[in-house]
Amino acid sequence: MNLLAIGCSYKTTPVEVRERLNFKDEQLPRAHTELSAGFDCEAVILSTCNRVELYVGCTADAQSPSRATGSLDAECISEFLADFHHLPVSAVRPHLYIHRQEEAVRHLFRVAASLDSMIVGEGQIAGQVKKAYEYAVRDDSVGPLLHALFRRARQVARRVRTETGISHGHVSVSSAAVDYVKQVFDHFGDKTILVIGAGKMGELTLKHLRQLKPRRIWVTNRSPEKAESVARGCGGEAMPWEKLDDLLARADIVLSTTGAPEPIVTRKRYEPIAARRAGGPLVVLDIAVPRDFDPSIHDGDRTCLFNIDDLKRIREATLEDRLKHIEPAESIVQQETKAFLKDWSRRRNGPVIARLTQDFDSKRREVLRELLGRLNGKLSDEDRRHIEGAFRLLTNRLLHGPISALTEETHGGGGYALLDALRKLFRLQE
Amino acid sequence: MDRITILCFLASYTVALGLELLYQLRPLVWSRWLALLFGAAGLTAQTIFLAVQRPPLIWQFGWMMILAWVLAIFYLIGSLHHRRLSWGLFVLPLVLALVGLGAAFGLPPESERSADKLLSFPSAWKTVHEGLLLLASIGLCVGFLASSMYLVQAHRLRAKTLPGQGLRLWSLERIEAMNRRAIVLAFPLLTAGILVGMVLMWHDGLSGWTDPRVLATGVLWLAFAAVVYLRYGYHLRGRPVALLTIATFVLLVGCLVLAHPVGQGGGR
Repeated sequence: MNLLAIGCSYKTTPVEVRERLNFKDEQLPRAHTELSAGFDCEAVILSTCNRVELYVGCTADAQSPSRATGSLDAECISEFLADFHHLPVSAVRPHLYIHRQEEAVRHLFRVAASLDSMIVGEGQIAGQVKKAYEYAVRDDSVGPLLHALFRRARQVARRVRTETGISHGHVSVSSAAVDYVKQVFDHFGDKTILVIGAGKMGELTLKHLRQLKPRRIWVTNRSPEKAESVARGCGGEAMPWEKLDDLLARADIVLSTTGAPEPIVTRKRYEPIAARRAGGPLVVLDIAVPRDFDPSIHDGDRTCLFNIDDLKRIREATLEDRLKHIEPAESIVQQETKAFLKDWSRRRNGPVIARLTQDFDSKRREVLRELLGRLNGKLSDEDRRHIEGAFRLLTNRLLHGPISALTEETHGGGGYALLDALRKLFRLQE
Repeated sequence: MDRITILCFLASYTVALGLELLYQLRPLVWSRWLALLFGAAGLTAQTIFLAVQRPPLIWQFGWMMILAWVLAIFYLIGSLHHRRLSWGLFVLPLVLALVGLGAAFGLPPESERSADKLLSFPSAWKTVHEGLLLLASIGLCVGFLASSMYLVQAHRLRAKTLPGQGLRLWSLERIEAMNRRAIVLAFPLLTAGILVGMVLMWHDGLSGWTDPRVLATGVLWLAFAAVVYLRYGYHLRGRPVALLTIATFVLLVGCLVLAHPVGQGGGR
């Protein structure tokens, strides 16, 4: 196995460089082809907003056993990356990190398990790794090594996600709103969401609230056109701005995201609205800055008001909690890295050992046939069995040394020298 | 079997509560399972105790013990069904308080356990009367628990405690629904129980009007009726309803405790 992971991420590279090194979806077929054909290797390109990584690998085979023993030139791959994006190598090279062999395996597993992400435990990266692999498969640039590696990476990501709490909780402000809403309401099929304003943040939060499957969504805005547009986008109903008080009296969840410079709902305005409310409590998610609702209306009983700072606190607490799960997740990655290398070495050495054993067996049988032919009629059945057993024992003892040495070399992280030597010594490639 | 005393299940429930508190501080799964184990042990001991002693419901001792027994069942079922919730922290103190009160009253004298000197009406009607009042009391206990949880959850929301931090409780809506159901079930049961009691008293020549329990039950019914009116007639919701339910429960306990002497089963 000769594996190399070369790339840059948000940790080492400013966004100005990352965006220039980014591979667009339509560029990937050409990049995969040039990389795999140019370097006679397997290749997968992982390109996201936070990282650009090239995974290249070679494996030995019967036809070209020395392929895997030659080292992939990291400098050439760096040049490829720079050339592909029409950048000077000197501008790219200082930002790149290079991981080889076991380190490369561990790096991919950490990336897939979201341990190397900007927000540890985020679930998007596992999907991006899967997509990168699928694109490479489509472009026919994946061979046995990267097939095995990327499939294993998916398993590692799943294991880390299910066996640790690293992906628990909400880390985006918009999704954290759902946590607060669920503290107040139990079911949402009979609830009405009122959206006030039409900010980008509001759209994201509404996306999460819609997953709760509310009964209806009302959208109101000073501009009826904007209200219509947002309502169309979320499957809601545009309502006139003038009816805001009435809507507040009838809604269950309010999502406010206007750009108003002053609070639009003061305590004085809200008191008669609260008195008119006949239903359950009202949850107000005021994510506007400056705030749209007077904070003094919050009582934790009939009116629960949460602003952007409250939502950010959830995000911070979740991130802090996730840090506790990094150690067990790293331990899983370590186990899986070792297991992958062990499996791969078994796969690498398996054919050579099988051929060696077959070769010895056929020679043993040949010599034994000749010997027993000469001694025909002079041996009892028991003598024949003894001789056959002795020959088998001799073969096994002769094979034990090379096979053990091969296994030790692989487990010790050695290269392909012994494997190549065995092939030559016993003429296995012929 | 008859060596099982109140102390056996009182101790088991206390340990279970301690373990629930420990789980709250450090959420280790084993402490929750151990709490359930002690809760189950306490319940088994209490079941055997009740089966052997057969305390009559007409005595406060029996009343408290049966109520505590039913709530201990609620604790186990609730904890198994909602493993992540802090259910035990609300139910177990009430169970312990009821067992403690029952113990303070003590077992009624042997001679009184099977005797019935108050009413001469057919025993089936007395059973119905006692059963209805007991079920109403269970409803009030559940209402009390729901109201306590409501106040805690409302306090958490008021303080904007982060979801997932501290006590784990149901949503306000669910707790309110639990309280509503408890009230809706308990009030008709209490009313029906009182009506049956009135029929029994009328049959006995209205001799029991001056019984403190009868007067206390009447006061309780009036308080409960006020809660029901405020909830459904005046559409009062949220914290005030929770506070009124708690006040009614306190009145129930007060009626049971203050109207009767401590010791020798609490009198009839």
